Amino acid sequence: MARLTIEHLRKSFGVTAAVDDFSLTVEDGELVCLLGPSGSGKSTILRMIGGFEQPTSGTLAIDGQDVTRLPPERRPTGMMFQSHALWSHMNVFNNIAFGLKLRRLPRAEIRRKVEEALELVGLAGYGPRQTFQLSGGQQQRVALARSLVLAPKILLLDEPFASLDQHLRERLREEVREIQQRLGITTLFVTHGQDEALAMADRIVVLRNGQCEQVDAPDVVYRQPQTEFVAGFIGSMNFLRANVEGGTFRHGDLSIALDVADGPAVLAIRPEDLGLAQAEGETGAIVLRSTDFGSHIMVELESEGATRVKAMTSPATRFEKGARARLSPTTYGVYRDNRLIASGRLTALPVTGRAHHAVETA
Amino acid sequence: MAQTAPHAAHGGSQPAQGRGLFGLLLVAIPVLLVGWLIIYPILAAIVSTLWIETPQGTSFSTGSYRFFFSDGYSLANLSLTLWTTAVCAVLLLVFGLPIALYLRFSTSRFAAYVQGLAIFPMFVPSIILSYALIRTIGPNGTVDLLLNAVGLPKLPSPYLTPWGPVIGLVWDNLPLTVLMLTAGLGGISTSAVEAARDVGAGPIRVFVHIILPRMGNSILVTVSFAVLGIFSAFTLPYVLGPASPEMMGPFMLRTFNDLYDPLNAKTQAVVSFGICLVFGLFYVWSIARNQERRSR
Repeated sequence: MARLTIEHLRKSFGVTAAVDDFSLTVEDGELVCLLGPSGSGKSTILRMIGGFEQPTSGTLAIDGQDVTRLPPERRPTGMMFQSHALWSHMNVFNNIAFGLKLRRLPRAEIRRKVEEALELVGLAGYGPRQTFQLSGGQQQRVALARSLVLAPKILLLDEPFASLDQHLRERLREEVREIQQRLGITTLFVTHGQDEALAMADRIVVLRNGQCEQVDAPDVVYRQPQTEFVAGFIGSMNFLRANVEGGTFRHGDLSIALDVADGPAVLAIRPEDLGLAQAEGETGAIVLRSTDFGSHIMVELESEGATRVKAMTSPATRFEKGARARLSPTTYGVYRDNRLIASGRLTALPVTGRAHHAVETA
Repeated sequence: MAQTAPHAAHGGSQPAQGRGLFGLLLVAIPVLLVGWLIIYPILAAIVSTLWIETPQGTSFSTGSYRFFFSDGYSLANLSLTLWTTAVCAVLLLVFGLPIALYLRFSTSRFAAYVQGLAIFPMFVPSIILSYALIRTIGPNGTVDLLLNAVGLPKLPSPYLTPWGPVIGLVWDNLPLTVLMLTAGLGGISTSAVEAARDVGAGPIRVFVHIILPRMGNSILVTVSFAVLGIFSAFTLPYVLGPASPEMMGPFMLRTFNDLYDPLNAKTQAVVSFGICLVFGLFYVWSIARNQERRSR
């Protein structure tokens, strides 16, 4: 168990900065997820922690000890690779035992530790098998056992479930989370799957172009995204672009009073926070499609300026294609220049013509 | 539908048969050429060394082989050829493997220049290479001149010694060796190496425990190719090598041209072919084993 401190980390490839001034502290036993689109620098950060890339500048410390310039073999980290990276010329036992053999442990102790590791990942008795005789999920479990058997201070997981099918991915991530909590090992997990991050992490670091956009608990990242990018990257989000004039944001027949300076702004509303009310006449957004997911219905609409929005409604309420509906948000965020400038909750009021709302701003 | 299925299956086999015949036709010409230009001369050479034509008629005799394996000079030539081949194979691995490892795992732009330099000798004709080596390491060559310029005595020149052909053949075969070893290393993923380093293996242990066991087959194939090429080499041993003993290539030519002894020249060729065949079969076996592993 250990504490990882990253300070002003930077990595450049030629003139391109893959990671730019990244700082983070991962507490003892915490599972932190690095989340971002391809090219956001998340894998580069993980590889720098593992020692496979040298930072251009900045420092990395584990339990206060500077490891920035140490080679991978001298770092107290264990990495699980996306491609399993099992050694096909060794059987399962030897794959896991390799690191222990390098440390010249007694044979009996190696056997005991390997068997414990195999049991931990649910592969007891698989030692004599060849790696090519295992399924993708089993191979990934062997890779995890290989990392855990050396009891690293920091466990690094580089998109470990990317090559697995959805069902197996969900099962394995639960198992990994359970093992991580049981061992209390400090873990960094790289993924571009937001569901994985939301399901597993104690905290999520959202990255974009090598820079940190937000670091928060999963529910905070989802409910209070601090930037427009995070709002759009995590979960489904409707964005309505318009100007704030005289303290009011107006988009089609939707208007919200805001305590922000006049100027362009982006109103962000989650589909589950966007209520729909039947509109009369030629006002309101046009229903394009309704998809029944059983537990809810996702209604796709076209608002003013060909803006498409999605609203999650109860299966009890049906909106037919071509019908008109009035947008009635309950929770929103307002962004300007990628920064959150206002957020709040609304209580929809029955009005005629333009929709007006009682506002509780945050 | 029930009636059309067997009909379709029956109809589908006709194009398949046609494709099979067309495939056979495509390989027929190269197979015939191999048979005519390679298999037939080999068999003819073997037969003509065992069934000897005499004024009394054709009779079976192993005399030429008995002569070869009892003649000290022939055996010395065969020994020199085997020695040269073995030394070259070892040196090719010693020089080729580090270059191939560097080319496979280096991310530096300098690697492209190293690759260019390593491959360059492939495009240099052997005779030019021989001339360049004579001018460099021969008597009064560049090395001698440089040593003399700094007041050092001359070194014994490898020119016209068994080491002359060794140097030339290693130089000449290095590009192919590097290419084949690099291709073999291509099958080892970077993450496999990184995983080994992650569990505590330094560069040497990574090489011994991870890289070497997984490229054993490609090393064997590389050695087989090098051995086949070097054993039957002619130009470099002829120009750079000693007059006596000599490698099998020049020996065969001299026996045939200078001694007007085609029977012994053919016997020497059959012996050389027999030794090369062992390596050839080993190569085929390696490839087959590799394919079998991949198919598992």
